Amino acid sequence: MKVKVKLWNGVASWLWVANDENCGICRMAFNGCCPDCKIPGDDCPLVWGQCSHCFHMHCILKWLNSQQVQQHCPMCRQEWKFKE
Amino acid sequence: MATSTELAELSAAWNTLSLGLVPAVALGLPALRSDSSEMFQEAEMKRALEVLRHYDLHSIIEEWFAEVLQTDLQGSIAPEFWNCITQYENTVEEQQYTLLLLDAFRLLKRRLDPYLNSLDILERWTAMGLLLGCGSQGLREKVYTMFKAILFFSTAKTFQDMIQQFYCRSFKIYMRQRRKGKNTVAEGMNENEWDSDAEDGATEESECSGCESTKGECWCHSAMEQFQQLSEILHRLDLLERVSSDAVTTILHKMIEERMEKRCRGEYERSFLSEFQQWIEKVIGWLSNVFLQDRNTIPISPEASSTLRRWRCHVQRFFYRIYASMRIEELFGIIRDFPDSKAAIEDLKYCLERTNQRQQLLMALKTALETRLLHPGVNTSDIITLYISAIKALRELDPSMVILEVACEPIRKYLRTRDDTVRQIVAGLTGDAEGSSDLANELSKADPVMLENSQDSDDNISDPEDWVPDPVDADPGQTECKGKSSSKRRSSDIISLLVSIYGSKELFINEYRTLLADRLLHQFNYSSEREIRNVELLKLRFGEAQMHYCEVMLKDMADSRRINANIRDEEEKLPEEEKPSFNLVAVILSSEFWPPLKEEKLELPDQIKEAMEAYTKKYEKLKAMRTLSWKHHLGLVNLDVELADRTLSLAVSSVHAAIILNFQSKSTWTLEELSEVLKVPLISLRRKMTFWLQQGVLREEPPGTFTVIEEEQKDRAEKVVLIDSDEEGDSAMASQADQKEEELQLFWTYIQAMLTNLESLPLERIHSMLKMFVMTGPIVSEIDTQELQSFLLKKVSDQQLVYSGGVYRLPKNCS
Repeated sequence: MKVKVKLWNGVASWLWVANDENCGICRMAFNGCCPDCKIPGDDCPLVWGQCSHCFHMHCILKWLNSQQVQQHCPMCRQEWKFKE
Repeated sequence: MATSTELAELSAAWNTLSLGLVPAVALGLPALRSDSSEMFQEAEMKRALEVLRHYDLHSIIEEWFAEVLQTDLQGSIAPEFWNCITQYENTVEEQQYTLLLLDAFRLLKRRLDPYLNSLDILERWTAMGLLLGCGSQGLREKVYTMFKAILFFSTAKTFQDMIQQFYCRSFKIYMRQRRKGKNTVAEGMNENEWDSDAEDGATEESECSGCESTKGECWCHSAMEQFQQLSEILHRLDLLERVSSDAVTTILHKMIEERMEKRCRGEYERSFLSEFQQWIEKVIGWLSNVFLQDRNTIPISPEASSTLRRWRCHVQRFFYRIYASMRIEELFGIIRDFPDSKAAIEDLKYCLERTNQRQQLLMALKTALETRLLHPGVNTSDIITLYISAIKALRELDPSMVILEVACEPIRKYLRTRDDTVRQIVAGLTGDAEGSSDLANELSKADPVMLENSQDSDDNISDPEDWVPDPVDADPGQTECKGKSSSKRRSSDIISLLVSIYGSKELFINEYRTLLADRLLHQFNYSSEREIRNVELLKLRFGEAQMHYCEVMLKDMADSRRINANIRDEEEKLPEEEKPSFNLVAVILSSEFWPPLKEEKLELPDQIKEAMEAYTKKYEKLKAMRTLSWKHHLGLVNLDVELADRTLSLAVSSVHAAIILNFQSKSTWTLEELSEVLKVPLISLRRKMTFWLQQGVLREEPPGTFTVIEEEQKDRAEKVVLIDSDEEGDSAMASQADQKEEELQLFWTYIQAMLTNLESLPLERIHSMLKMFVMTGPIVSEIDTQELQSFLLKKVSDQQLVYSGGVYRLPKNCS
């Protein structure tokens, strides 16, 4: 007997490769989106800092904009630099 | 002192007067001559009266007259009359006793005529001031009262029957005459020949419908004459109302009921009001025949016309009541047939406004619903369909919606007890229900009503002058607890009513989401346009926020298609030998936005896993920092099974595909081996195996061992294996109950902590504390006391909790 697969309709869910489940700022799931967004994924991406902490991009930007003097990671208080 | 001449004069005068006023027989004297009453002319009597006036004796005349009349009535006239009536009591023939009745009344008239004549004279004298008159009540009135009191103080049943029959006959003849009259006018025939059978042609039976006797013996005409005579007599004696009103009332009621029964029962599609109005006008015509003697004189006396008005009012009111009762009785059927039965609803509405039958309607409808609808034998979808009709019909009937609210409360209560209510309603909304498309139409209706629109304040209430109070049967409790304008509370929107059965729209949204997910993942047969349209429509009802999840789900589907196309393009560029042996496409979900998926383990063959890994790689390249987690147990596979003598082309689930792929390398597997390889539990694996047994690809021999059938056997028909029926009901989603269970588990830690600190608590305390501390979060759904109770009781039966004396506590060893 031989079985020939013609088409496999699979089901998968996508997830961010992150070291945490939830965003440290908004406490929402990374795989969801930040409170201001409606659509997860491309429309509400994650960003990583050099300190290896990651957040929803919208969340960390909002945080950084509110910082007057120097910009720190809200988690570890190191200076915030985007990881390339 | 009176002298003897004076006495003689007086006595002569008295004689003259008394014999002139009353018949001699009544005074115990032998009848003088037949024309005794005419013996004394009025002038003569007047002279006698003058004499009496001279002696101041004129004051007793009227009293004396009444006295004599009363004695005569009691002594001879009344017995004679009743004798005459009872004489033919056993007469069966209608014509005979009609005659007899007439005879009796003729006799009565003959006997009373002298008195009435005298009465005329006396009245005339009173008017001239010769007599005093007796008090405020005129003599005539007194006399008439006496007639009624003595003659008809109590009437025999047979007499009533006779009278009734008599009027009934006259009614029938009259109605027939009118009908014929109309016909003949229409046909241009001679109107006077109403009793010949020529005009009605074929529709007329051999019997005359008026008198129910054969053509040759029709006695309608004579009956009408008799009727006329009797009416005259009764009118003269002022007995008309006393004798005939009972009979007439009974006849009218009977006729209306009969007619209604014949014409309207079960007939909902047209209005009967105007038809009956015309008929009632005809009936009024007959009534005027009965009650108005001088109907030819114009104008009609005010007294007569008021009688007629009273009767008209009575007949109409009676008609409305009877008609409303009938429709109320049939209301269930009318609702079922709505909107075909719109005419009946409108009729009923009209009648209800004129009668006091709302209570009756509510009771009857509730009972009908309970006996005919709300029992286990009826499908949920049928109940919902009827409820929708009821909403439509009753909002026609009662725009204040009170009837709907009160009468349909049992339906709502009952639907709450059915498990599949939500599913049915959601299916109806999306047009998936087999039966009606009512809900789908309703959903796509223009100008939808936003559900639970809390923003709109009381400002937009229209002019306060237009305010109408609630009908008295409205449920005051609901008005209070909502504290809002009651008319707003009673929405007539079908969807909001259905959704509010459970009191929350979240439940519906969740159910819709589950159904949608099921369609998208499990069945793979969805039409994206239709789904998008449905979601858009639901968004109008439930608001953006609620439908957001469903939108993301649909967007995932579109995105997946795009990613698949991207990856396919990339594969095309690969050299021939590196191209994968089969196409792998994926549905990529945003897991946070889909309802929880059932977690099942399934180990796929390496070839598939490799393909999936390759796909994941490509995805990771496409979307930075993101990866895929495959749900192996979900999916649909198109494959060809090539056997020695045949090839099967099938679309199967991924589990089925995994099973059959394993048979490629080894043609015989035991269930245990296979379970080991696939990581699928034995029980569910066995269930899946039946599919291949049924397809005739595998055979089970001995039990527990499966082998490929390379060459088809002739006796395959015998080996038909029934597929487990729950296969089809298999849903990709975790069931509602499972989800709820999970949520409750979250409460369990709180409950344990509570009980450790406070030792023991009653159910209500636990619930209120949970409400205070736990249910405030956005993610946690609310639970009601009932759910909590059943959850706690389960914990009790698991011995994780102790329940005694109305309080819960943790078992000793646990703390």
